[in-house]
Amino acid sequence: MLIDTNVNLGPWPFSPLPDHTGPALAAHLAASGIRRAFVSHLGGVLLPDPMPANAKLFAQTRRTPALLPVPVLNPALATWREQLDICRAAAPIRAVKIFPNFHNYRLSSRRLDDFMAALAAAKLKLLLNVRLEDERHKYFALRIKGVPVADLAAFLQRFPSHHVLLTGAYKPEVEKLAAVHRNFSADIAFCETFKTLEFMLPKVPARQLMLGTCTPLLSTRGEVGKLTFAQIPARARTLIGSENARRFFDL
Amino acid sequence: MRIIDVHTHPVLDHKGGTPAEVKKLIAHGRRHGIVHMVALGDVLVYGATPNAAQLRAINDENAMVARLHPDYFTAFVYLNPRLGERATMAEAERCAALPGFRGIKLEIANNASHSCMRHAAKAARTFNFTILQHSWSTTNIKDRIHQSDPVDTALFARRNPDVKVIMAHLTGIGFRGVLEAKPLPNLYVDTSGGWPEEGLVEYAVEHLGPDRLLYGSDLPVRENAITIGRILGAQLSAVERQKILFGNTARLLNLKLN
Repeated sequence: MLIDTNVNLGPWPFSPLPDHTGPALAAHLAASGIRRAFVSHLGGVLLPDPMPANAKLFAQTRRTPALLPVPVLNPALATWREQLDICRAAAPIRAVKIFPNFHNYRLSSRRLDDFMAALAAAKLKLLLNVRLEDERHKYFALRIKGVPVADLAAFLQRFPSHHVLLTGAYKPEVEKLAAVHRNFSADIAFCETFKTLEFMLPKVPARQLMLGTCTPLLSTRGEVGKLTFAQIPARARTLIGSENARRFFDL
Repeated sequence: MRIIDVHTHPVLDHKGGTPAEVKKLIAHGRRHGIVHMVALGDVLVYGATPNAAQLRAINDENAMVARLHPDYFTAFVYLNPRLGERATMAEAERCAALPGFRGIKLEIANNASHSCMRHAAKAARTFNFTILQHSWSTTNIKDRIHQSDPVDTALFARRNPDVKVIMAHLTGIGFRGVLEAKPLPNLYVDTSGGWPEEGLVEYAVEHLGPDRLLYGSDLPVRENAITIGRILGAQLSAVERQKILFGNTARLLNLKLN
């Protein structure tokens, strides 16, 4: 049974992607062997206030147990604490997701001190999205780069007691961070080279990697193949495919 | 399912060229159902604009790969049209005499709309070669001197309707690139390049039809499990998948595979 840590609902205005319903998304994921998925709503990335998208997320996942909602929050908004409370009341969430580059704040912002403390108090995990798309293929007017690896490193150093899941980081970025930091995991959606995991595992412990497909922006079956075809120890495959996520999210 | 990978670099950055390494690569390919690869050479090892001696070295290495395993590799001759007609034709002729060469690989020595491309077209006509042109949208990467935007590759195909051209990197050319290729029956697109962005394969089949899309991985830059999974996971018929993964390249390059 695979657990996907990086899945999205909702339309993306720059690409004609399928706008799945919750059940349709669950069926799509199941066709590639994914039985549970942590899902956010893409509307929360671009809207000035992510809450309308979070409301759609909760509505679309409520009757689909395979989909576990991860609301998007913007710590740069004055009302993030109130919004966190609303999300917790709306559904039994286990994590929230942030998009620093899309929401126009730096990870060095002092606001994040209170934000991280609030997550810890609520026993919630943080998913930190590094990128959603290959920068070379973005819509020409969307000048948003991935979150700089130096900013990620400083953030991990600043909050050593938090274990953060990075989504959308490139393989060299994950490897660079893993050489120094143990308080993060990374999904493998944007990690790719010839025999990705065979070459990655000597540099990044399997316990720090999780399956993430970035569905529907990337091909689910293609991304899953990266794990299922990898010639790696069975234990590492299990850790990356499900066990690390199970432990991280306390499933 | 049998698969032909039309876009591979068995030797890249001087790595992969020993007989043992080539054997390992074949074993890797067979594990994924790949029964044949098109070897395009170590194209960037000497930078964007290799000289004649450097081209010969790259092509000799590629010829070695094809000679060792003629049943598994077809080779394309790597050319730099900026070296002029004489040098371009001489290297194409040299490689055409070697076993296994069926096409020309063009990378980033020049933009595909440059007038020097007439030399590559002449070589393709003379030796009945298909041209595979590296292509990528220059909307964000901004190097039109070396990079060929899909507009440029399409212009080259339009100027040379009797030459068969493969516009490389479906993900790199994107939706706009598919539409550039649409009206040109001599222009094919390979599926290599970049992360497996959802929806592009189906879009390409919708606009190009199922006969002008060729499976390619860009191995070893990319991973076959992902690039094949992207085709298998696309909303296509079994016949369309078979054409993309095998039939179209076999037909285009006239490959007789057992």
